[in-house]
Amino acid sequence: MGALARADDDAGARTAQPAGDDGSTAERLAPSMAGAPAPHARALLEVIDRDGHVRQVWTIHQWPARIGRALDNDVVLTDPHVAPHHCRLDHPNDGALRLEAGETLNGVMVGTRRVAAGMSAELKPERDGEIALVAGRTRLRLRLAEEPLAPEVPLATHAVRRLRVLPTFVLGVLLVAGVAFATYLDSDPDNFVRSAGNTLLAGLSIAALWCGAWALLSKTITRQGHFGWHLRVFLIAALALLGLNAVPGLVAFAFSWPWIASFAFIGTFVVGAAALYFHLLGVEPTRPNRLRWVVGVGAAVGIALTMWFNQQRTGRLGDELYMAHLYPPGLRLVRPVPVERFIDKLGALHATLDKKAREPATDDAFASDPGNDGRDDDN
Amino acid sequence: MNLSRGRGRHAAWLALATGLVAAQPGAPTAPAAAEPAAEAASAPVSLSARKVYEQARTQLVQIRTLLKGRGSQTSVGSGFFVSADGLIVTNFHVVSEAALKPEHHDLVYVTADGREAPVAILQIDVLHDLALLKAADSKGRRFDALPLRATDAKPLAQGERIYSLGNPLDVGFAVAEGTYNGVVRRSFYPQIFFGGALSAGMSGGPALDQEGQVVGINVARRVDGEQVSFLVPAAFATALIARGRDAPPIKTPAYDVVDQQLLVHQAALTDRFLQQGWKSGTHPRYKVPVPPDVFMRCWGSSEPSRTGGLDVERSDCAMDTRIFVGDYTTGAISLRHESYDGTRLGALRFAARYAQSFRNESFVRLSPEHQTRPMCHEDYVDPNGLPLRAVVCLRAYKKLPQLYDVSVLVATLDQNQAGVQGRLDALGVSFENAQKLSRRYIEAYGWVR
Repeated sequence: MGALARADDDAGARTAQPAGDDGSTAERLAPSMAGAPAPHARALLEVIDRDGHVRQVWTIHQWPARIGRALDNDVVLTDPHVAPHHCRLDHPNDGALRLEAGETLNGVMVGTRRVAAGMSAELKPERDGEIALVAGRTRLRLRLAEEPLAPEVPLATHAVRRLRVLPTFVLGVLLVAGVAFATYLDSDPDNFVRSAGNTLLAGLSIAALWCGAWALLSKTITRQGHFGWHLRVFLIAALALLGLNAVPGLVAFAFSWPWIASFAFIGTFVVGAAALYFHLLGVEPTRPNRLRWVVGVGAAVGIALTMWFNQQRTGRLGDELYMAHLYPPGLRLVRPVPVERFIDKLGALHATLDKKAREPATDDAFASDPGNDGRDDDN
Repeated sequence: MNLSRGRGRHAAWLALATGLVAAQPGAPTAPAAAEPAAEAASAPVSLSARKVYEQARTQLVQIRTLLKGRGSQTSVGSGFFVSADGLIVTNFHVVSEAALKPEHHDLVYVTADGREAPVAILQIDVLHDLALLKAADSKGRRFDALPLRATDAKPLAQGERIYSLGNPLDVGFAVAEGTYNGVVRRSFYPQIFFGGALSAGMSGGPALDQEGQVVGINVARRVDGEQVSFLVPAAFATALIARGRDAPPIKTPAYDVVDQQLLVHQAALTDRFLQQGWKSGTHPRYKVPVPPDVFMRCWGSSEPSRTGGLDVERSDCAMDTRIFVGDYTTGAISLRHESYDGTRLGALRFAARYAQSFRNESFVRLSPEHQTRPMCHEDYVDPNGLPLRAVVCLRAYKKLPQLYDVSVLVATLDQNQAGVQGRLDALGVSFENAQKLSRRYIEAYGWVR
């Protein structure tokens, strides 16, 4: 017979296929339950769900092991993209573990390599001692008995949790303080308490809704909420955005660098993209590279679109026509220029303006209505 | 600067109907239809008014701008014959569409007895809002002409009756009686203050004295007042006739002529503006440039905060005179400043509010068809040792070469909880004068010694 992994086969007690999430436990226990001596397993073939969990486990006791959709296989996969006799794993005593693809259209993916019908390949365990295979659309993981096991991963202990609670709490306090300060700056003394109350209430609601929604998404896909993770991502991102609100303006003011404030939106996009990346990491932890690409491209597209829109609307790439960030005079670090030189530099605009005046007006992306500068008293 | 609140009130005061044309762009004839009722309320026409009208009836015409190939009128005004060979004087704003977009518009005159004939533009004077036309059917025809009051004639006395003629709102020829009230104060170019009712459509019509001589040409009225109307003194018409009576008709868009005249205007405006100096004592701590009330008018207001915030005092200076150039007006200077006191706010909060006010400024005025987008230059400057943030933004006119709008925005940066923000706007000046005005404006800031 083939290397049917079933211990029960030897005992002749059961012939049923293993199934279900708890297959592995059931399988391993089966022999002892049947009261028969179990030969050592040679390998474990796991079917991996798209969330990374193990859906089904096949214990391999004997080489070769045949994999396919037909019922006479040792490992039967219910996947329409798998051939009746898809492939065969063999591990001769004197040789290396080999995979031979059977009569299959789709072949077998070994890591990133495709093994086509009739071809064979040597299988080498990855660093973690496991071999990743994809047959049709079924992700398989092969663990060999002789490979060393990765060490046990400790559970998050109370101590570890406490280590996370404190920074989260500190971040939360910082954010509340930051929001309160921003409200203070924007409100008149008589209105401050009411404004602060409103802002905090709104902020808390937004934080709860935001993190709750991400946790729900995480739970749906990874079966764990990761609320703490999402909360930390939110807090850090919100603090970063709060900082971005003030810092570029301050630098622009201190050094008379208007462009810094004008292009601060790039920072906002970067922070937003980073936050999105870390949130998504809590939802789809297995594909960080792909997420990085998606988020990076998204941020680049957002920045480019903003610049294009600015260019259409105002003829400039940046956001601001002039630097309008004023801080207490003591924070200005550069020296004023003499009026004479300031006016001379104005002359540089002459040629550009004349050139633009000769261009016909082509766009209708004219955002402001004419006369909105308030100097139009006519009619 | 925070303009939104204070301005509405001033605008009502200052708003001036530059156009008496019934169909202004964006103001179709329909709303004007309600006005004749108000018109009827004016003073009853006296015997001499009747006499004046009888004498002037044949010299009076209506000027209609027609859409080419459509025949429907886009605007109407009035005019009058000034020579036997068919010269007509009217306002520039009556014929501006035909002068600036001749490819789309035709111009005709209609006499009191209903005769309609085409008319050509010989010369324009945008600064005084006048145009000289010539009847195209003048060959072999002799026209009755109104005499213009001689330039060296004894000036009229205040309170003398004068009679304004025209075709208000395209209703029909009419005479409006009123008084001569001298020359308008603070006008950049002399204008006669006519104490009578003018309506849209009477633009370009003559205002006659008791002897039937033209003293002025109807041009504008104040919409926020009653019987506050304006006439262009006849002397400018006399000059225009002398200049343009033998000129060939203008057939292409007259922007080059307008440009030349505006260049002359901006030179005179800049010179007079800079020569007049500044008012003193405009702020307890700073020297803040505020022009004397020669041809500008300043309004001030004070707005203490009701919520323990920023206290603001404003000053807003503008000219009554603006040069009408078809789709927009130009050739004017305005200034304003706001003085902020945030003692109750604290330094950081004051800075936030001060910055908000500095941000709340627009530098866009006309559509891209007429003007480029603004381009700015900014830096810290310290005229007379007073540190300022200064922003100068310029826009170029697309159809008026070598003319620019310049806006200078400054904010004082020496106190933690108080400051002044000021703004100068000069519309339609040369680049050189834009630089000169910016410089003189910024240099006018300083400490009060």
